Amino acid sequence: MDPALRQLLILRLRGGLRQRLLQLASLRGLLFSLAFGGIIWFLIASSGASDTSLFGPAAQDRQALSEQIMTFMPLVMLGLSLLTVLMTTGPTFHFSPNEINFLFTGPFRRRDLILYKFGAYVAGVALTSVFIALIAAPQTGSALAVFIATLLTLVFVQLNSAVISMTGHALDGSRLAKIRWPVTVLLCTIAAAAVLYAWISPDRGIIDLLSDFRHSWIGSVILIPYIVFAELFVATSLSQMTHWALVAVIINAALLRAVIVLDARTTDRSIAENARLSNRWDRIKQGGSFFATQRTEVRSIRRAPILGGLGPIAWRQALNALRNSSKLFIVFVGLAACIAPMSSALGTPVTEGHTMVMIYVFVAFILPRNLICDFRGDLSRMEIYKTLPITPWRICAGQLLVQVLLAYVVASTIIVSALVFEDIVTTQVALVLAAFALPLTLLIHALENTVHLLFPTKLVAMGRADFEFLGRSIVEFIAKSLIVFAAMAASGAVGFITFKTMGPAIFLPGLASWLTLTVFGLLTLVAMKFAFRRFAVAETIE
Amino acid sequence: MNRKVLSKDHMITVTNFSKQYKGFTAVRNLSFSVEPGQILGLLGPNGAGKTTTLRTLCGIIPPSSGSLLVAGHDVVQEPIEAKANLGYIPDDPRLFDTMTVWEHLAFTAAAYRLADFEEDAEALLASFELTHKRDTLVHNLSRGMRQKVAIACAFLHDPKVILFDEPLTGLDPQGIRGIQQAIRDRAKAGAAIIISSHLLSLFENLCTHIMVLNLGECRRFGTMEDLLSEVGNTDSTSALEEVYFSITQAPDQSSKTAAA
Repeated sequence: MDPALRQLLILRLRGGLRQRLLQLASLRGLLFSLAFGGIIWFLIASSGASDTSLFGPAAQDRQALSEQIMTFMPLVMLGLSLLTVLMTTGPTFHFSPNEINFLFTGPFRRRDLILYKFGAYVAGVALTSVFIALIAAPQTGSALAVFIATLLTLVFVQLNSAVISMTGHALDGSRLAKIRWPVTVLLCTIAAAAVLYAWISPDRGIIDLLSDFRHSWIGSVILIPYIVFAELFVATSLSQMTHWALVAVIINAALLRAVIVLDARTTDRSIAENARLSNRWDRIKQGGSFFATQRTEVRSIRRAPILGGLGPIAWRQALNALRNSSKLFIVFVGLAACIAPMSSALGTPVTEGHTMVMIYVFVAFILPRNLICDFRGDLSRMEIYKTLPITPWRICAGQLLVQVLLAYVVASTIIVSALVFEDIVTTQVALVLAAFALPLTLLIHALENTVHLLFPTKLVAMGRADFEFLGRSIVEFIAKSLIVFAAMAASGAVGFITFKTMGPAIFLPGLASWLTLTVFGLLTLVAMKFAFRRFAVAETIE
Repeated sequence: MNRKVLSKDHMITVTNFSKQYKGFTAVRNLSFSVEPGQILGLLGPNGAGKTTTLRTLCGIIPPSSGSLLVAGHDVVQEPIEAKANLGYIPDDPRLFDTMTVWEHLAFTAAAYRLADFEEDAEALLASFELTHKRDTLVHNLSRGMRQKVAIACAFLHDPKVILFDEPLTGLDPQGIRGIQQAIRDRAKAGAAIIISSHLLSLFENLCTHIMVLNLGECRRFGTMEDLLSEVGNTDSTSALEEVYFSITQAPDQSSKTAAA
């Protein structure tokens, strides 16, 4: 690597470290970082405990865990590679506009620039690997072994994705590019057929089929490069570890070489992709969506509904969802549809505690953090809302409408998939769940917006080790969950009291319970209105 | 030395307005008024309180004290009525990047409850040379174009009060000429206009009145003619520039108080 680039890399790493230390210097930064540290400590401690193992009961049996890793890790890595091919979203080695302005015009070779970005990436994943090693060390016995295995694997994932993307770019316009979608359709058809076969076969689950594929000769051939990294994780001796690490390093070096060669053939495309990705990150920093439309022009919708002022706000968010978040929404609906069949295949039905916690985290944390069609995406445009001649509650209701409807569709998809795949979920149960899901969704998202308006903050972490951001996200989620659980408990209590006082019929208790939850949702909307009125637009003093 | 200004003819009436941010006074006891057809230029160095005054007038930030009336409606007591009569163009228009130019106009029409807006919207698009961009998503527009879209949206509901914060930023010469003419036309049609800018030539071209702010206080308020006549002819610099520097760099600024 060029010495100047090496110097830049060191300076940037020092700058990142200094930024983290400055975060710790403030009380808020310190508290949130401590909260994050506490969670990590809890994970490390719990992964060492016998009954709350990070990898489940299998972790207690080293042999069983190794078998699971050897079977499924290559499959997961293959799946990630296929996903990369299908959802190429930009260059894997992303240069920011600043880097393009400074470095692309400087006396550097492209090869050196790639090595510089690679060096920055390795520094980042080294930090990630340290965390994973700390968490997994109690179960694996050797933190160093986990660190090396994780580092080499993450580097492989990055380089592998880069090579796949760049190969795709290099082949753009050629005959081979035309087979991308037919092959995708073929693979999806095979996957669908496998799922269908697993569903109708009483004694063969999807996991069995995947396991069979992994251990077949064709599976072994396809998965050879991925198996190397699985071997790294299950190595039982230093010599084995050294052997597989050496193979992994050779694979990564070959991939890095391929990246440098392919980069020379895709420079123009790479610059265009860099610009597109930079725009996306800018949009995310303003609270927008990563998956925005790439079109320059679209057919304008001539009129917006008025509905007393609520109409234009909801209409604007609907357009936002349609043009910015439709792909993301489809991904979430797809994930929601997979929850019940996956949990069923894994032998943990949706009614089990662990699965319900996972579903809650999905709908109350992952979904609101990613699918954003409300105030959280409009932080930079609050001036517009503040100057509109529309009452605050209508603005708040309009902002929530689309977000709640989209989230409700995702929640309903989980319920429908549970109805289809779980015997215990009958039509009646599904209808009750669907009825309660609506006020619950309103409550979750009104709460999300209220907290955001009261304590506005960035929606994305500033770098890999933004402990303040991570700590704050976790603390916020816990606080919101406490409110949600309190509302659910109150709703349940009202239902129970009604049941005790009004007899054995469950309709009235259910209605009372539902109304209570709805009132909590509406009360949160009132709080959101207060938060909107109180919200101080960045006050430029001039 | 501020005096309360109250008149039925005043479209904008600001009385004893102050704004504090965490112990810092951004604007102190400001009073002025603007009548229909007048164009008031807010002049002052960075940190003088110009943007704070504009943002408070349009309801973005609340005042710490004092009253601000827009078309006879208090911006705190009757915010909806006040905002319905107001158009605000910020220095950096943040448009909705998933919407087209036309959809911004449609959104504005619905927000201001305009039933038939298409004809006016078409005329605005034509006057700002945006007709061919009607279906373009705004994030693909240049900064100057986005500024034009923001101005078109602000003009759509024919507001009685229009507030401009640095209206010419990012515009090309044709754009600057077009916007200046649009401002004059709006003033002729009876709108009361306030412009905040650092471009002294813009004030000389457009404004009927000038208010010089410094450190949150009004240093001078009067008609353009009055201000220029105070300085007289100068050799190398513009008369307004002379006024500006004489006020903002005077050793004893506080002795000069506002005259309204």
